[in-house]
Amino acid sequence: MSKKNIDNIIALAKDLRWQIGDDYHDSLIESIYADAAEIVNDTVTKDKEKSKFRLDAKIDKIVTSRIWGFPIMLLVLGVVLWLTIIGANYPSSLLAELLLDSIHPVLKNLGTSIGFPWWLNGFLFDGVYLAVAWVIAVMLPPMAIFFPLFTLLEDFGYLPRVAFNMDALFKKSGAHGKQALTMSMGFGCNAAGVVATRIIDSPRERLIAIITNNFSLCNGRWPTQILLATIFIGAVVPKSYSSFASLSAVIGIAVLGIFFMFFFSWALSKTVLKGEVSTFNLELPPYRPPVFWKTIYTSLIDRTLIVLWRAIVFAAPAGAVIWLISNIYIGNESIAAWTVYSLDGFGFLLGLNGVILLAYIVAIPANEIVIPTILMLTVMVRGISGGEGVGVMFELDSVTGTADILRAGGWTLLTAVNVMLFSLLHNPCSTTIYTIYKETNSMKWTVVASILPVIAGFIVTFLVAQVWRILV
Amino acid sequence: MKYNPYIALLLFLGISLLLYYIFRPNRGLYFLLKKSYRLNNKVAIEDILKLLYHNQTNNNSLTANDITNNLNFSHSLIIDSIKKMMDSDLISLEGDTIKLTNSGNEYSLRIIRAHRLWEKYLSEKTGFHNREWHERAEKKEHELSVEDTNKLSALLGNPKFDPHGDPIPTRTGKMALKQGTPLSNLGVGFVGRIIHIEDKPEIIYKQILAENIHINSIVRVIENNTTRIVFHSEGEKFVLAPIVAGNITISVLEKKKIDEENVTRLISLKENETATIIGLSKESRGENRRRLLDLGFVKGASIQIDLLNPLGDPKAFLIKGTSIAIRKNQASKILIKKN
Repeated sequence: MSKKNIDNIIALAKDLRWQIGDDYHDSLIESIYADAAEIVNDTVTKDKEKSKFRLDAKIDKIVTSRIWGFPIMLLVLGVVLWLTIIGANYPSSLLAELLLDSIHPVLKNLGTSIGFPWWLNGFLFDGVYLAVAWVIAVMLPPMAIFFPLFTLLEDFGYLPRVAFNMDALFKKSGAHGKQALTMSMGFGCNAAGVVATRIIDSPRERLIAIITNNFSLCNGRWPTQILLATIFIGAVVPKSYSSFASLSAVIGIAVLGIFFMFFFSWALSKTVLKGEVSTFNLELPPYRPPVFWKTIYTSLIDRTLIVLWRAIVFAAPAGAVIWLISNIYIGNESIAAWTVYSLDGFGFLLGLNGVILLAYIVAIPANEIVIPTILMLTVMVRGISGGEGVGVMFELDSVTGTADILRAGGWTLLTAVNVMLFSLLHNPCSTTIYTIYKETNSMKWTVVASILPVIAGFIVTFLVAQVWRILV
Repeated sequence: MKYNPYIALLLFLGISLLLYYIFRPNRGLYFLLKKSYRLNNKVAIEDILKLLYHNQTNNNSLTANDITNNLNFSHSLIIDSIKKMMDSDLISLEGDTIKLTNSGNEYSLRIIRAHRLWEKYLSEKTGFHNREWHERAEKKEHELSVEDTNKLSALLGNPKFDPHGDPIPTRTGKMALKQGTPLSNLGVGFVGRIIHIEDKPEIIYKQILAENIHINSIVRVIENNTTRIVFHSEGEKFVLAPIVAGNITISVLEKKKIDEENVTRLISLKENETATIIGLSKESRGENRRRLLDLGFVKGASIQIDLLNPLGDPKAFLIKGTSIAIRKNQASKILIKKN
């Protein structure tokens, strides 16, 4: 056939296709689906286990009921968080004792005995080793408790019902009900929360969930909140109420985080994410008894260890940087001291100080080492006696000891409140940032997700500081 | 400057206000500047061409004055543009009235093609609300080259109609015919299919959207007088003012063909009722439509409510043995027949 003829035929086909119109295409697809459904109906026989189905329906009626739906959800989340935070205390202190108090001195002595120069000894063991050990001690136990519990709930089939109950709230801010789950996962670890957004199959809602996950207070930040609330908030009220007051303050911060999550979800869906495709559907799978040991195993391997490994990879260089900036001198002050002095002015404006800001910069890899870094820098820069030496992070066993150092470093109630706020509202840790980049594959959204919370943090702490100084 | 919390707060407020005035949506200084930069001769010429084309198809003739009154450009820009259009032989003068030449006609069809294709694109491939389609296409039509539009058209499978039911001109300028009667002219008892919803003027269009009236649905007129038009569609009753109903075009159906009378929307399904799915409304588009089809919301499937939500929305429906929750705005675009 000549080329001209072929072209003619193609042109004719195009023309005919156009004449038939869009409806044809649609109904063709629909009839394929309908045919498939009919074939399934004719050929596949189903084993109807009616009785089992009825039990499912009964559970569903209770967990999605008007009266019981929300109390059950709050109870389950509360129990999971309580088990995580309280339960992690013991293994955490054991690990800290082992890694920080026992192995660390042994390593340092070993270094000296085989003739390492002091700087290599300090760099390796006070810097790199200490940061890694700290991250493991603080991070591993809560994650090893939280993730299996969460995975058990997931496998049982309860979590989709939570998404179902909560969807109307999330829809108002342009988000997906499943964001309730990724948000809760964020209470364990933001990086894991970001990975968990894969369950959201609508592009716009998934981006919202990724960008706002950082507003969930993660495991690395709970200890900071609890410590500061105990020292400063608890001290404001009479002693008999102090634990109640500090507990409410911590819960208040977490709830504030949820508020910010909703606010930014709404703002994002109304502005930069307006044009992204948005769909919704939520499958409610039947309940099934979770495979206990398999779940424990996979959640430890898939979630805990992967996240922990990433954290270690990022924490090691952070430890090195912390040691280096404290031990390299320009003129007669260390780099750390110079940075602290230059950040002090801006810090004061935010109701913070230079030490805190520097600690948050060097502790981008892991929120766990913020308090040890703050303590080390405070002792070093403000010339307070105590601590373990220049560039060596430390934490004190006694809360009052910590309180004394912080107060000597110029901390007031305002500083504590603003650090609690800033701990909630600052950039995600580098593990999370890296995970966001891997999940979105976009530099733009990674930058937005990293910068947005810091700006929110600056604005909120600034406003609180000014109003505080005017009123108090 | 000495630090003072009041001054710090005031400075902060000042900066926030400034940023607000520069960047506030649509009316911010930044957007105004961007807009005035955009408003050049090309935009004016193309808008004038469209205006002439639409009036010519309605057999209205326009003078230079009419153009100035109808378009939101400065007088001098319009006069200048008209001069340029005369020079490049896009329009000709017959006395006072301005007429499109053949090349002017072609040019305006190109712009209309770009506009309607972009609306189709927005409806199929993005998440923008249908309120925004027209406005966005008004901007985009001036930016798309002929090649861009052809690529866009191929990407969308050479669609025949835009999401409002307006025909899209082909690259050779061919257009599907639009036949039908305005809903306001339809007598009581007549049954027809909505084939077009006019997107201009915006106020009326937004009113129609707010009523949740869907293109391609069947309507039956119940009442028609000078104050209101009442009609049934997909199991619901709608009341419109005649001026609003005039912007909805209906293709009248012969009585024999009507077997879709007791079709209703899935939202009207109650607990313990079962129904058969008739199909998805044309309003369910793009990714959403494919997702629903994937999940088994296809013609002939039987459906019932599985779970009500403590907050009302979404509801879970039992379809093909699976419980799937969808939101109200999706359920309103699934058509069913109750058993």
